[in-house]
Amino acid sequence: MGSVALLLGVWIGKLVARILKLAGRNATSLPGKLALRLSPRLLHRLGQQLERCIVVTGTNGKTTTNRLLAAMLGKDMDIVSNREGANMEQGLVAALLQRTSWFGRLQCKTAVLEVDEATLPLVARDLPIRVAVVTNVFRDQLDRYGELDSTLQKLLKGLAQTQATLVLNGDDPLARHIGLHYAGHSLYYGLAANEAQPLARQQTRDGAFCLDCGHRLEYDGFFYGQLGIYHCPNCDFYRPQPEFEGVLAGRDLVLRQATLPEQRFSLPVRGLFNIYNALGAIAAARVCGLETRTIAAGLADFTAPVGRMQPYPTSPETILNLIKNPTGCDGVLQSISAEPGGKILLIAINDLAADGRDVSWLWDADFELVPEEMNAVHVVLSGFRGEDMALRLKYAGYPAQHMTVQPELDAAVDAALDQARALGLTVHVLVTYTALYPMAGILKGRSRIRVENPAVRPSVS
Amino acid sequence: MSKTLRFAHLYPDLLNLYADRGNIRTLVNRCRWRGVDVTVDEIPRGTSVDLDRYHFILLGGGSDREQELVGETLRAAKPEWKAAVEAGLPLLAVCGGYQLLGAFYQLPDGRKVPGLGLLDLVTVAEEPRLIGNIAIATDLAGIVMGFENHGGRTTHHHEPLGTVRKGHGNNGRDGQEGVLYKNVIGTYIHGPLLPKNPRLADDVLARALEYAEIPAELTPLDDTVEEMARQAFMTRRILAH
Repeated sequence: MGSVALLLGVWIGKLVARILKLAGRNATSLPGKLALRLSPRLLHRLGQQLERCIVVTGTNGKTTTNRLLAAMLGKDMDIVSNREGANMEQGLVAALLQRTSWFGRLQCKTAVLEVDEATLPLVARDLPIRVAVVTNVFRDQLDRYGELDSTLQKLLKGLAQTQATLVLNGDDPLARHIGLHYAGHSLYYGLAANEAQPLARQQTRDGAFCLDCGHRLEYDGFFYGQLGIYHCPNCDFYRPQPEFEGVLAGRDLVLRQATLPEQRFSLPVRGLFNIYNALGAIAAARVCGLETRTIAAGLADFTAPVGRMQPYPTSPETILNLIKNPTGCDGVLQSISAEPGGKILLIAINDLAADGRDVSWLWDADFELVPEEMNAVHVVLSGFRGEDMALRLKYAGYPAQHMTVQPELDAAVDAALDQARALGLTVHVLVTYTALYPMAGILKGRSRIRVENPAVRPSVS
Repeated sequence: MSKTLRFAHLYPDLLNLYADRGNIRTLVNRCRWRGVDVTVDEIPRGTSVDLDRYHFILLGGGSDREQELVGETLRAAKPEWKAAVEAGLPLLAVCGGYQLLGAFYQLPDGRKVPGLGLLDLVTVAEEPRLIGNIAIATDLAGIVMGFENHGGRTTHHHEPLGTVRKGHGNNGRDGQEGVLYKNVIGTYIHGPLLPKNPRLADDVLARALEYAEIPAELTPLDDTVEEMARQAFMTRRILAH
């Protein structure tokens, strides 16, 4: 420790973070990026000072799971975490820098980090990873990672460099595949088999084939996407009996673990995909040795990350959701459809690197729900690829005359709120990753206007 | 007009990597909007397809592993495929499906996965993957646009579908994209291909109707939304970069 290059990186990173925060900007990534430019080995140097690191990876649910886990572990010990979901190397560094002194000393011993799947093999040796949660492996951002198989390979390659105990979603055949091909210890979480449903709608199922022998997997029931009670009719590949089994009880989750008495947890999140996130976080917290009390206290403390069914007090109300791949998007569309009454939709699709430059996934998502079950009175399309989204909805059977295309986010919000105000409806906003923070900023700005002075409408972009 | 147009979507459970269902949906909607009867059979993996039954076949893309599995099933009926294609069966093959039309697909480890051998076409995997937005000029349907993402470099001695305006195309070297042979169209372009290229969709439909001997006329449709998406894509993603 103490080399000039290291300190230079720490200083620049911390300075930039401070400046960004003063300017009210998002400082989850840029400080790390600049720090790494000066000190390329910074993650390693900071990681060395940790005693333990718990990572959350997988396709969907990383941010929510990581945040839930950080809330629980934070009740028991001093931790550092990338709560906002910046999960590439620069984001990890930016998170650690928040707790690093100007002399380069990391001031806490435990890190809870969400790590991007492709980043994992690049950083696994730099961090003392003791526990690794894999939430699921769905189709996501194919153009960044090539194909699904290579995402799995990256995860396996990254995990193979650790001695971590894996906490895997056993209901996902692809996560199970990871457990079977990992040399170390694996534990599984999953929902009780009697919660599984017969398949209602045609959905994308990437894991529908046995990765070991190529036969079509058979399912006794589905939870969502490819998650379910599966087995291969040809070889020994099957859904494991989970060590941490969840049973739904209204808005509570009952945990069954070996011969221990059942534990009941009140969940701060909604939706089946979030129940999996909570179950994964609880399982990992157990593996870390947390007591029921501490876990429950952490759950009570949890605040939802930006863009996960997040309400804004605009006039009328808006609810912000992040969409980034078919399975996650389907979960969001189903949740919105389940809300009563008519709705206004605003869908903003970008295709920058962090969104995935290929927007063909829009055609794998179940947007047929919009005309068929959502009761969407009007839809505003925005973002660099808003027109492609309009085309997707046209072929889903949504009438073109109820669609407005407005590429600018600001103007799109105005158009949606105008429609909603006239009819007294809620606006459901769906955005891809690079539109998330700008959209959150705009909605926050519009919320203030209502409270302070409805006559004034400053630009907030 | 009592006769029904019959489409087969081959192995969507394996080959739907790039939202190939969007291609079928586009063709079906453009038939129904014109009052043309159409049915689609999704042929599940491992099942052989009765080629005589269909007027159009879609073969989509999958990962290397999935493509290998499909190749096995397809090759069992190689002579039937050859005969049907020579007789003018309309076939749209995208990405992995396109590669399967040829003699072989050589994997990164040097292994050669044999294809259907319908066309004089070979594919060799190379680094890096060719990824990005693409636009090509075609005689069939003007500018055809979309996204490409392939490790394979394809070369052939047939007519290409088009010439690359922006992007990589078949191999990133000869400026050609796709293949056109009788009523077979092969291409690396997805996005999916047909929604944003309605002229190409209608060209495929015209071939299918003719092959089916259905005397339906493809009346013009309101393609305002399609045109808007094409314009926006060209302006922001092809011309601006």
